[in-house]
Amino acid sequence: MASEPAGAVERLAAALTRLPGIGPKSAERITHFLLTGDRDVAAMLAAALKDVIEKVHPCRECFNLTEGAVCRICSDARRDGSTVCVVETPRDLAMLERAATYRGLYHVLGGRLAPLDNFGPEKLTADALLRRVQRGEIREVILATNPTLEGDGTALYVSNLLANTQVRITRLARGLPSGSTLELANAQMLTDALDGRRAF
Amino acid sequence: MSLEQATALVVRGSDWSESSRIVTLWTREFGRVRALAKGGRRLKSNFEVALDLLTVCNIVFIRKSSGGLDLLTEAQVEERFTNLRTDLPAFYAGCYVAELLSDLTEDYDPHPALFDEALTTLREFGGLGKLTGLRLLSFELTLLGELGYSPALRGCAVCQKPVEAGSFGATAGGVLCPTCRLKERDARPLSPGAWSTLVALQDDPTQWRRELSDRIRTELRQHLGLYVSTRLGRRPRLLPYLTG
Ligand SMILES: [Zn+2]
Ligand SMILES: [Zn+2]
Repeated sequence: MASEPAGAVERLAAALTRLPGIGPKSAERITHFLLTGDRDVAAMLAAALKDVIEKVHPCRECFNLTEGAVCRICSDARRDGSTVCVVETPRDLAMLERAATYRGLYHVLGGRLAPLDNFGPEKLTADALLRRVQRGEIREVILATNPTLEGDGTALYVSNLLANTQVRITRLARGLPSGSTLELANAQMLTDALDGRRAF
Repeated sequence: MSLEQATALVVRGSDWSESSRIVTLWTREFGRVRALAKGGRRLKSNFEVALDLLTVCNIVFIRKSSGGLDLLTEAQVEERFTNLRTDLPAFYAGCYVAELLSDLTEDYDPHPALFDEALTTLREFGGLGKLTGLRLLSFELTLLGELGYSPALRGCAVCQKPVEAGSFGATAGGVLCPTCRLKERDARPLSPGAWSTLVALQDDPTQWRRELSDRIRTELRQHLGLYVSTRLGRRPRLLPYLTG
């Protein structure tokens, strides 16, 4: 571990390099821009950061990020409360929302089961999901964790946890992306597509 | 710098940047290799799919002579273990295999027989129920043997005097005679049933389909857990998830 840099400028650059996709060069460029450019931009950024830190927190129901007690999706009466889609992160939720075809609710687990990285099931919001299901209004839980080994392990853990409830548990389909061709698919995509085939 | 080809099992992966990953690969030809995979997170890339945990892939990489990270240039999926994705104890056992291969072995110290045994083990996990623990135990003994850490089971680990069940010391490295057990702080009782299972599996790792009581399976898991922890210098991360 390097020792804590002394000055405010160095501290800002060091903080920026911890952001995803920003290396030392970009951090230096951004720092320089904030210091020498329009001071209002820097002040606006500082205020916006302070705002999100103070105001944004997990939704009481689904753990999506929100400024209220309950998020926009959970409080929308037009959404179908009998279906809950379980995702790893708020970012995954945002991606599904962008597809704009799903009308049910969500549950954000807050990560994936990654015991090799010391991220065990106790760090997930799975117990809260079980309590939601036990209230009885949910009929179907769609497991939409990533199709990686750890994502599948997470889905397995959640489905085991819900096994003694009456809820129907489904998993996102996998296989061929629309607009692609068989020629471009790898062996696993073709196997998944065959396994996941349905009546036509 | 040289260009190398290998068959590899992905045993660890972490994001390095938005577009690249650092992966620990356990290869048949070179043992443990740690490499940077640039573009390893690009959407839909075959590369990313091949670098998922516990995937077997054919890789091409540039071996750095300076001792830095190697650079992965190609990775094609060879085999995936879907059985680890449908059975939670199998998932945890598979992760434990990855942890042992990644953390108990050295860079560029190949053990092709251990590589083959790891793949056989991963194929056999899934749907084994209570036998999952014994299948794992068999793998652990093979791994310890390959790495030169086999527990002493027929003679006292300290004074070599012939001895069987009775007491097991993880630090000393095996069974203990009545005299030596008094001096070993981590000596624990070893039942005849647990001892004979360890001996049978050490002699023939394929003999893991054995009817054992829950008590003996739990005892074996505890002994092996402590034994591996001692060799590793820390408690394995997966240990709390394993059942006997
Ligand atoms: Zn919500
Ligand atoms: Zn002795």
